[in-house]
Amino acid sequence: MILTQRFARTALVAALLLVAVTSTRAADGFKVSAEKEKEQIAILRSDAPPQDKAIACKKLAIDGSSECVGDLAKLLSDPQLASWSRIALEAIPGTAPDEALRKASESLEGNLLVGVLNSIGVRRDANSIDLLTARLQEKDGEVASAAAVALGRIGNAAAAKTLRASLADSRVNVRSAVAEGCVLCAERWLADGQAADAVALYDEVRKTELPKQRIVEATRGSILARKGDGIPLLLEQLRSNDKKLFELGLYVAREFPGSEIDKSLAAELSTATPERAAFIVQAMADRKETVVVAAVSKAAASGPKPVRLAAIKALSAVGDASSVTPLLETAVDADEDLALAAKATLAELPGDKVNTQIAAMLPNAKGKTYPLLIELVGQRRIEATPALLKAIDSSDKNIRQAALLALGETVSLRNLNVLIAQAIGTKNADDTATAQQALKTASVRMPDREACATELAAALEKAPAASKILLLDILGDVGGEKALKTLSTAAKSNNPQLQDAGSRVLGKWASLDAAPVLLDLAKTGPAAQFRNRALKGYISLARRFAMPDQDRADMCQKAFDLCKDTTEQKLILDVCRIQPSTETLKFAIKLMKVPELKEDATQTTLVVAQKLGAKGINVGEQLSKAGFEKVKVEIVKAEYGAGATQKDVTAIVKKQAVDLPLITLAAEGYNASFGGDPAPNTVKQLKIQYKINGKAGEATFAENALIVLPMPK
Amino acid sequence: MANNAMQLPRRRFLKTALSAAGAAVMAPTIIPSSALGLDGNVAPSERLIIGGIGIGNRGLYDLGCFLEQSDIRFAAVCDVKQARRTLVKKMVDDKYGTTLCDMHVDYRELLDRSDIDAVLIATGPNWHCTMSMAAAKAGKDIYCEKPCTKNIEQSLILRDTIKRTGRIFQAGTQRRNLPHFAFACELARTGKLGKMKKVFAHPAGMASMLSGWLPAEEEPKKEEIDWNTYLGPAAYRPFNKALLNGFHFEKGGGFIGAFGAGGVLEWGSHCVDLCQWAMGDCEPPIEYNPPKDGHLIAKYANGTELIFREKEWIPLGSCPVRFEGETGWVEAGDSGKMVLSSPELLAGRTVLEIGGYPATFHVRDFLDCVKSRSQPKTNALAACNAHIACHAANVALYLGRQVKYDNKTNTFIDDEPANRMRSEALREPWRL
Repeated sequence: MILTQRFARTALVAALLLVAVTSTRAADGFKVSAEKEKEQIAILRSDAPPQDKAIACKKLAIDGSSECVGDLAKLLSDPQLASWSRIALEAIPGTAPDEALRKASESLEGNLLVGVLNSIGVRRDANSIDLLTARLQEKDGEVASAAAVALGRIGNAAAAKTLRASLADSRVNVRSAVAEGCVLCAERWLADGQAADAVALYDEVRKTELPKQRIVEATRGSILARKGDGIPLLLEQLRSNDKKLFELGLYVAREFPGSEIDKSLAAELSTATPERAAFIVQAMADRKETVVVAAVSKAAASGPKPVRLAAIKALSAVGDASSVTPLLETAVDADEDLALAAKATLAELPGDKVNTQIAAMLPNAKGKTYPLLIELVGQRRIEATPALLKAIDSSDKNIRQAALLALGETVSLRNLNVLIAQAIGTKNADDTATAQQALKTASVRMPDREACATELAAALEKAPAASKILLLDILGDVGGEKALKTLSTAAKSNNPQLQDAGSRVLGKWASLDAAPVLLDLAKTGPAAQFRNRALKGYISLARRFAMPDQDRADMCQKAFDLCKDTTEQKLILDVCRIQPSTETLKFAIKLMKVPELKEDATQTTLVVAQKLGAKGINVGEQLSKAGFEKVKVEIVKAEYGAGATQKDVTAIVKKQAVDLPLITLAAEGYNASFGGDPAPNTVKQLKIQYKINGKAGEATFAENALIVLPMPK
Repeated sequence: MANNAMQLPRRRFLKTALSAAGAAVMAPTIIPSSALGLDGNVAPSERLIIGGIGIGNRGLYDLGCFLEQSDIRFAAVCDVKQARRTLVKKMVDDKYGTTLCDMHVDYRELLDRSDIDAVLIATGPNWHCTMSMAAAKAGKDIYCEKPCTKNIEQSLILRDTIKRTGRIFQAGTQRRNLPHFAFACELARTGKLGKMKKVFAHPAGMASMLSGWLPAEEEPKKEEIDWNTYLGPAAYRPFNKALLNGFHFEKGGGFIGAFGAGGVLEWGSHCVDLCQWAMGDCEPPIEYNPPKDGHLIAKYANGTELIFREKEWIPLGSCPVRFEGETGWVEAGDSGKMVLSSPELLAGRTVLEIGGYPATFHVRDFLDCVKSRSQPKTNALAACNAHIACHAANVALYLGRQVKYDNKTNTFIDDEPANRMRSEALREPWRL
């Protein structure tokens, strides 16, 4: 559902009017605060620095009333505070701000005057017509342009009269702003039901010598304001030699209301150049509710190639069952581009009737169309199992294999055994790989994976040795309780090949339900290499998946108890690094007591501590308990950057320094921690000059490296 | 909950190179560019001429996405910072093997150029709307980074001006052109999850991002940093280098904490946009409540709740969304993965898994629409509606109470303080 565009009636007007209304009935709704207003007025009247007055203005935008307008108005001539003042003056309802802005406009000039005129426009102050009319004649083109746009925003008859008279202004930039104002006026009139007046004004702009974009805007308005009578003008744009106007035609063709335009666009296809017709077809297809499908189908069937390609593609969105037969013909066309486009569209054509038609055509299909229909059955997942089962017995290899693949996409659990039989014992050796691919596709698609796994497990028992591995792999893809149990059994069987396959698949399992199975296999597996594989799989689960911190720490401990060497133990330290928490920090600290792991565990502890520090978690106490001695750290200077581009980050690093040589940052990564990237696309370093316990040291760190200050010698 | 859910990536996703994925998912509504002679050797006269304004960190990424396209020529860069102008020129000239990329300090010079068809606007959010309006009035099509507007009024004017000028506008909310997010939205939009009950969006925090009036520092030479132009439509304050982070400067509404805020808008412009796409590109919610227990709850006219929350997400990467209907749910994030309440929702379809937040497809969508004049995925109307929802949520956040919004009048109901936050005057001489 695309929303109706109400751009013609600008929300600005509605909003401002409503704001004005709500201000008078604020007793029924939420009120502004007179008390807060007083506080801010006091700041404006004080000797407070400009930044405080700026904030006061901002707050008065919410709580100000006519009481503060005088104080705000005084700031309109202040180059620093004028913009802040206008934030409040634009927002406060009532006539006082309008009067203040009008009065200020009398004495200001340059940008300050432009700002005030802009605010008058935003407030749509109808009492400003005279002053804006005068300012429209200003020598300063920026002032005149601001006045023109403000008049456009006011948009009443008087404003339009002034603007019309100024369309002949000799200055191009002012004329352009006047035209902008005229278009705003016309838009408002159209929204108010004055379509004829709007058309006249749009057309007046169109006839004026202006920058092309203004003409584009007026032409669009003129077409839409004419409603049904705007079609000839729209078609004129589609025939224009001007690229911008042709583009406008394509744009408006999509937003033009009603269905008459669809017929006109269809007719236009026969006269437009092929390049343009290709774009017009796309515009037609974007009008899904009213498009003349027959015209698009006709363009798809014959004619210049660019138009055919565009039309074929368009049918994928707007075509129907009537498109199937001609597209099938094109899909076997000798022209490869056309054939590919037609195939792609056939796969996407919307509607159940399309599926019904394809299924009905399949049993009697012949020649090139037969494998194509089979392929479509698979792509569109059409239920046509009997016809596909017949096709897998075809003497034509291409037909057989297309049918197997289509079965993979469509077969139900009831007929899965057909694919299993083909995959583990096909009549044709040529079809084995295809059948296996189809079985995998079908198996992972089954909604009831437990039932699917039961079928596969049953087949496993009877399958020849070579096929058992395949079935175990597919069970791994299917997942679930039954698959886990079957793989566990295989991994603990007496058959070395099944042990290998079972432990391999389990070792790559990608959900936590395998954790107890892997732990058991790691303890009781039939051979060391498979126990080792299971242990690695178990650790991998701890590393990869979300779980409570304590559960992860428990997994780390259980894995650690089974580790046979430091290589395996270091994998557990990886878990701590990747999944930092207070629990994994405790675990890493614990491993610091294992002599052969001390160095790695210490490094891990610091990494985890830094990551936790970045999340605002205080780790100082734990580190102190772990034996990291407290030291006095003073940061002398810190710079981050590359080459001559260095950012002084001393204050940030100082703030993060504690009584440890580790500096934990406030965010992940140096750029985020140091307020941005000082040298984009360049390798950067962090250099720190510091003192530890009074001794001076200096260290350099590669971008995003752990920051551990070496003890000065 | 996450552990019981069907982990689709494992079962169904194809891992495909980005380029291949692009070929598979882009150009949904237009004819193959090859048919128009737009692939490979594109005639110079057929190329779209692009200019870039405010090309910083994200802008450089966007620029890379534009430069990948063979049917454009990037002709000029405009930036108030000399270092950035020089960097972009080098990047572009290196790409083309020329020295032709022009540099401008004043964006109006760039917009005045008749050779430029479209602009990439990647300034800080302070400038986004004002500059987009100027570009539209200058006859340029616009790819504008998000957040696109600073308040409700700007959102409406953006929508109306783009229509009035007949321009193509694409907000830089590229997730609409990523397959898994698009699929998740499609599930919700087409009723596969049943009647929608709740949609969830992740804000980048709900705190203020201050960028106020800091102590004056010595202003750099104008050639190095043009401070006046950097300030642009923002109310005056003296130079302070801490304010030069355009990403944060004046982000998000201009009133929170007195100087602007951004968390809700920063990610909300992405996540809320997706939520509203999932709801059929609906109008913004009509009721907004201040945060309670970490949830800021808004309510659409049909009763569906939009919930901003920072926690309780399945770990699927940044900018996650979740859509809950009466019969199913889906959650997706920047990892490229999604989790469904049931594999049946996939209906056998393969959804490409593209992690991170690549904008290549979004840029391509924009360029295709510049040529065809069709509406891109995140057009001005969609962007307007998403931004209004974020701004209105910010109003509830600031006032610390419920506010009710009328989509017909685009005003808060019986709520003068809230209505006064709908807009904010621009510094002279700027106007929308």
